Amino acid sequence: MNLTAADLPGLDCGVCGFRTCAALAERLPSDPDLLKRCIYYGAERKTSGPTGPLVQLAEPAPKHTGAGTPQPAPGETVWQDSLGRDFDFFLEHFPSEPGPREIILPHNPLLTRELEIKVGDTLIGRPLGMSCGCPITHCGVVMQVDSRTGIIVWCVTGPMRPRQEGFKDLGYYSAEAYEGLITKARAEIKIGLRYFFQPTRCMLQWRHSGLVNYVNRTPQGTQVRLEGLWIG
Amino acid sequence: MAERVYLDNAATAPLDPRVALAMRPYLDPVFGNPSSLHWAGREARAGLVAARSQVARLLRAQPEEIVFTGSGTEADNLALVGVIEALGQHENHLITSSIEHPAVLETCRYLERRGVEVTYLPVSGEGLIDPADLARALRPTTRLVSIMAANNVVGTLQPIHELGRIARERGVLFHTDAVQAAGKIPLDVGAQGIDLLSLSAHKLHGPKGVGALFVRQGVPIGPLIHGGGQERGLRSSTENMAGIVGLGCAAEIAREEMSSEAARLVNLRDQIIEGVTAETPCTYLIGHRYRRLPGHICLGFSGLEGEAIKLLLALDEAGIAVSSGSACSAHHVGQSSYILEAMGLDAIRARGSLRVTLGRFNTETDVASFLRALPEAVRTLRPTSSYASPSPQRGAGNEPDRR
Repeated sequence: MNLTAADLPGLDCGVCGFRTCAALAERLPSDPDLLKRCIYYGAERKTSGPTGPLVQLAEPAPKHTGAGTPQPAPGETVWQDSLGRDFDFFLEHFPSEPGPREIILPHNPLLTRELEIKVGDTLIGRPLGMSCGCPITHCGVVMQVDSRTGIIVWCVTGPMRPRQEGFKDLGYYSAEAYEGLITKARAEIKIGLRYFFQPTRCMLQWRHSGLVNYVNRTPQGTQVRLEGLWIG
Repeated sequence: MAERVYLDNAATAPLDPRVALAMRPYLDPVFGNPSSLHWAGREARAGLVAARSQVARLLRAQPEEIVFTGSGTEADNLALVGVIEALGQHENHLITSSIEHPAVLETCRYLERRGVEVTYLPVSGEGLIDPADLARALRPTTRLVSIMAANNVVGTLQPIHELGRIARERGVLFHTDAVQAAGKIPLDVGAQGIDLLSLSAHKLHGPKGVGALFVRQGVPIGPLIHGGGQERGLRSSTENMAGIVGLGCAAEIAREEMSSEAARLVNLRDQIIEGVTAETPCTYLIGHRYRRLPGHICLGFSGLEGEAIKLLLALDEAGIAVSSGSACSAHHVGQSSYILEAMGLDAIRARGSLRVTLGRFNTETDVASFLRALPEAVRTLRPTSSYASPSPQRGAGNEPDRR
């Protein structure tokens, strides 16, 4: 068996009696039986990043903004938005839901009652001004409604749904929070820190910023909630 | 007076002088309560924050996922009772192994008295859990799996990565009692699928009276000790600052020196295993030959099992401190070890083991002293087993992993 250090787990743990995997690998050609001493061989993956294995940390991407800058190689992750601004992670929607989950508040919260908004309704509206200033009118389907506070949880969908099913018009609303999954990040995700991030479904591919105030690591990725949203 | 050699590091490991040095300011000049807002509190809080990061780095966790406790036993209790109570389900099933430390087993029995169903997984003759047994034992009502990373008597290392993966795939929380393993083998709570992990300072050359529980963010857990809300409400009481700083420092040293220290201990361990079996033919190694803690040896003596306590005392007279089974069972020396019985050893053999555990301050000189003293101590004993010969043929009987 011709094993090299790269074939060994790379933990450099010393449990085999050699200080490093390379030192063990050097001895293997003359004494293959030594492999029995590596209790992690074939069993354990190399170490995860500090945030655990569910968020794949990537190397910082090279800068490439504007014309004349290098184009990314196929498959290379670009950590810059369509305006060339850096961000730290992509925000995906939950796979079981029809689109990105947002917690919104109509500028007139009483609309929740006046329009008799209920779960399953299709709504349209624009996130005016503070939180988060996007110029695009959004469409979505209602997942939860709190008629006492006016808060609505919806999943943003494409424009076909209101065209096909009709809609209720909120006018302007504030996007109070996003909830979603991080499957790819280049920074440690810590509760309490503000990040630049890229919602994958954003039509303009503009980076957003927000404060992470909930983190839950799951087999599908890291669930987060972001508040204090802003574009840019 | 006989030369003194300490080979019982699994019971407790001597305090590293570097740890003692780090702790000293927190016994006097840095006396503040870390919850206080003034300068004295800020000084203490800085130590608390640093120690939390040091422990987190040892486990490749986040600092906010570390809860300081008063011991490894308390951490185990918090993990099991805290999670089951916080889940608040009507039907609860918990899976553990038959060779856990009493800190887990007795907590399971407490939970059983409160209506929780508990499955105790069997182990092989080498003390290993078969991951397929875990997969088969999981039920829709299983809330938690608790399997130790390394056994305290035999030193066997469990396939934590595989066990954690099975639990995670089924959406069941996974706790590991890593009191013996932390700081001695690499632990990576992310890569190994660990949701909760217990450790204790004094097993890694830190002070007694302080431990920690890793709790992955989002894991539902409630406190056992209620009060002022320290440790994110999970362990109220004013922090044991000197102890916590000592634990942090011990964790940092263990992490930095792990690979060189593990390799050194494995070499000393192998010298003992090879020396003992060559000089004292009735000796057999209990547990897996390689899948064990770097400095951990568990020996049996064919035909002399009933005399193990005398052997321990004879070695003590020669100045050598070793353990019979586990220091935790020193109050039950007349009983056989439930761990060795679970591994398939008969009742006689299960009461006759000697645990020799090496630590950071043991040297080749200590190994030589032990290897000189053991054959002499064995010669002073009389066989007490009527069916076993002191010098059986190799391969005879059910001696595990004889070398």
